[in-house]
Amino acid sequence: MNALTQTTTSQPLIRVSGLEKQYRQHMAVRGIDLTIRQGEIYGLIGPDGAGKSSLMKVIAGVLSYEAGAVEVFGITVDSEPAAERIKHRLGFLPQGLGLNLYPELSVEENVDFFARLRLVPERDLADRKARLLAITRLDRFRDRPMKHLSGGMKQKLGLICTLIHEPELAILDEPTTGVDPVSRRDFWAILTELVQERRMTALVSTAYMDEASRFHRLSLLSNGRILASGTPSEVQALVPGSAVTFQAAPQLEALARLRKTFTQVEAMGPLIHVFTEETERAAAKQRIADGLGDITAGEVRVDDPDLEDVFVALLLRQGRLKDAGDVLPPSSARLNRDGLAIEAKGLVRDFRSFRAVDRVSFQVKQGEIFGLLGANGAGKTTVIKMLTGILPPTGGEGRVAGADMRKAGGVIKERIGYMSQAFSLYLDLTVVENIRLFAGIYGLDKEETRTRLEWIIRMAGLAGYESDLAGRLPMGVRQRLALGCALVHRPRVLFLDEPTSGVDPLGRRHFWDILSRLARDEGVAILITTHYMSEAEHCDRLALMYAGRVVTEGSPGDMKRHVEQEAGHLFEVIADQPAKAVLELRRAGFAGAALYGTRVHMFCRDPVRDKECACQALASSGVTIQSVTARPLSLEDVFVYKVMALEDQERASVSGDSV
Amino acid sequence: MNLRRIATVASKEWRETVRDRMFFLLAFLLPILWMLVFGYGLVLDVENIPFAVVDRDRSALSRDYLYRFFESRYFSFQGYLQSEDEADAALQTGKIRAAIIVPEKFEERLLAGQPVGIQTLIDGTFPLRTDITKMYVIAINSAFSEERVIDHVSRRSGIARAQAEARVRPIRLEVRYLYNEEVRSTWSMVPAMLMFTLMVSSPLLTALGIVREKETGSIYNIYSSTVTKFEFLAGKLFPYVLISSVNAVVLWVMATLWFGVPFKGNLPFFLAASLVFVLSSTGIGLLVSLMVRTQIAALLITLIVAMVPTILYSGLIVPVSSLSPGSQIQAHLFPGMYYTNIVRGAFLKGVGFEVLWVDVLALAAYAAALRIVGYRFFTKRPRS
Repeated sequence: MNALTQTTTSQPLIRVSGLEKQYRQHMAVRGIDLTIRQGEIYGLIGPDGAGKSSLMKVIAGVLSYEAGAVEVFGITVDSEPAAERIKHRLGFLPQGLGLNLYPELSVEENVDFFARLRLVPERDLADRKARLLAITRLDRFRDRPMKHLSGGMKQKLGLICTLIHEPELAILDEPTTGVDPVSRRDFWAILTELVQERRMTALVSTAYMDEASRFHRLSLLSNGRILASGTPSEVQALVPGSAVTFQAAPQLEALARLRKTFTQVEAMGPLIHVFTEETERAAAKQRIADGLGDITAGEVRVDDPDLEDVFVALLLRQGRLKDAGDVLPPSSARLNRDGLAIEAKGLVRDFRSFRAVDRVSFQVKQGEIFGLLGANGAGKTTVIKMLTGILPPTGGEGRVAGADMRKAGGVIKERIGYMSQAFSLYLDLTVVENIRLFAGIYGLDKEETRTRLEWIIRMAGLAGYESDLAGRLPMGVRQRLALGCALVHRPRVLFLDEPTSGVDPLGRRHFWDILSRLARDEGVAILITTHYMSEAEHCDRLALMYAGRVVTEGSPGDMKRHVEQEAGHLFEVIADQPAKAVLELRRAGFAGAALYGTRVHMFCRDPVRDKECACQALASSGVTIQSVTARPLSLEDVFVYKVMALEDQERASVSGDSV
Repeated sequence: MNLRRIATVASKEWRETVRDRMFFLLAFLLPILWMLVFGYGLVLDVENIPFAVVDRDRSALSRDYLYRFFESRYFSFQGYLQSEDEADAALQTGKIRAAIIVPEKFEERLLAGQPVGIQTLIDGTFPLRTDITKMYVIAINSAFSEERVIDHVSRRSGIARAQAEARVRPIRLEVRYLYNEEVRSTWSMVPAMLMFTLMVSSPLLTALGIVREKETGSIYNIYSSTVTKFEFLAGKLFPYVLISSVNAVVLWVMATLWFGVPFKGNLPFFLAASLVFVLSSTGIGLLVSLMVRTQIAALLITLIVAMVPTILYSGLIVPVSSLSPGSQIQAHLFPGMYYTNIVRGAFLKGVGFEVLWVDVLALAAYAAALRIVGYRFFTKRPRS
């Protein structure tokens, strides 16, 4: 019996109705209804502040609530004694990578602590510990203090600690945030395996839209409410349409024309991404061509819309209209676009014995958006700090606008804009006061301050917010204000360090819109870091960082083509027994086969022959295939592929040495 | 109640505390440093007052007079000066705190039976020290004058010097200082510092230890598990009570061996009473940890809550009996006072439970009350 058929027959394990949760003035959850059945991996997807954490804590019985009803395992959780009655049957992993673990304790001591707290018999503990540490490949690090683990390892340890008492229900709050894509895939594989093996139920939240396909069912949350619930395909079906991606020049003009007819238009590096409600592929293409007028679209491709398109469409349907300042004032001068804006040459940075950045080199031209990708701790922020002259490199050279940043004087530094992860704003000042303050810091005169203030308000769509305190602004608006402040002195080079963390997809799209206009229209060079792989599609060029090194570099398209040449095309298999299907495929030689929720992904070098071979392998083992479809590669696939190849290489060289 | 869970929480807490360098220093080094700094710093004795002399007479008698200052342990002679201007300059720079100016013809006039004025300049920037310095000067001066009178009477009446002295000083004051025989402020202050150190360090450690879990989010491991409130609090507090008790012993050793304070009481009684005190002071830490979310807030509030009443109302500097009635009531509300009684009683008076039982009981009540309040307010299902 597999997970899917169970879910249809079993009783609801969790029933939430009309839930409301308030923190002082702030409503975090505004009436949520939810039913989760046994054996499901249920997803809660939404940006920071959507109410995911509050909802999960309420269900775990570790947070009280104001209104509504919550029933878990048939017990109404409405008081502390009632909550105590469900706790022996659940495991809860709070938000924050490794934050619930004890840094001074070793891996094994952490596991032991959680197990003994749950009174797991010592013999069972030894068995389970051995098995779980083996699955997660942490057994070699038993004695290592938790504080010395990497992000991915911390996350796996957190999972073991949450599951060591074999709960019937696992509640995992953003377990994958800030973890590199390879570890993330690993995590999902382990979770899926355990859920099936133990007939466990899992409630998992994530801020990554692209993880949606991992869930059996999911809810999209925004602003304390559920926008939509159902299986990934059901949710997708709520907003029928197509995603059309193409090239068109001049891009700015094309974007402007398309915005008149379509609500979702985005620049993605050299490409344009449009969501249209037209489901017929040919008709969708035609509608784009109509919208473009005399501009011709090249390299057109039509796909099913991804969940982010759906999410945004649902938000728009709710009447949250785009609060963008669509009229961007024309640039004051056509700036010189020649020459390198940023050049990193073999940058190295050591912190004591730890090498945070290892021989990183790349170049960014004026008017280019360059993305630095990687997980927490991959070295992105350290690279930015070296390039902006905040941190001296241990080795190598960082040049910005032709000057060595180590020796650069104030003049060069004034040509750089920097927006940090924490949005360096003064939260007790109003929008205008913040802008004036930054103008003052950069020594702008009265006249210049006035023009820049006007420009920033229009550019960032801040009209109407002028006298609001920065601390009261919604995250998306606050982020655009921070961007405006970083631009007050007309910098030629802009550094953005994870500027979009915690902003909802609508806000994120608006932000990227501004960035691409800054680059295209004003010729500003932009270096941006992010750990959202989906955002990386917006960049002209990318460098993927892993453990301090640049793993691969190039445009998003080039990277994908390169991987496709090496590894083959990506196929998605829908079958009735997905877990068995993965095993069978791996046995048949498809090493990269992996479970994504209820679907299986695999690489095929020869689309026709390999597909045939895969289908035969599955059919002969009694798995019924519903469909096999080609999927476009995502940047996450690229990253995973590259890092895996690197790890294989290392392993090979290590074993080679030992022979 | 399950002992295995209590032991699990306690051993985790212990390991974290001894392995985390910050916490280790806070737990074991801070009390020692605190004791050293305040044990030396809070000495209120006025001794070795630096002074200089302008001797315009330079006679045998003027030397005799000044010699009494040179000999005194309260004064420290810094040298002869030539003029009053030099004395002013030396006072201004703080090289000396007092100057004695002997006028010309000091000996001549005294021998002639005429009164002589000795000018004494005293730095008045610290009123308390100034007053004490003045008292010393007056005492030395009157001793000298009396001896002049005794000499005179003995010579005039042709009687022995001892007889003359009996006539001049018919009443002799016989003072015996009890408990602190040498009236050393160290003997009084160092035991009180033991109280002060424990009063601050143990709640601080406890509050930070609990709030650390809240701040990182690891408290959710506790909230979402089957460990009961009682088991968690017992396991969590045990290592801190243990550490604080160890500190009480260490501080006792420092007081007796390093500072040389005599311990006249019963050591087992003192240690048992200290354990009761530690139970109540860690309770304060528990209470603070329930009110705040961040370690920095816990630090500030604990320092204020633990330090201010202790300095003002515990009898550390001013005896509780000489406080105003309102302040006396406040003094009885904080545990510091009771333990100060116990510490000073055990160290200096050598008394035990037969005298100090009220204080011990008060501390025990305090410890129990704080735990009950802590238990009531700690929830595994908070509002936020």
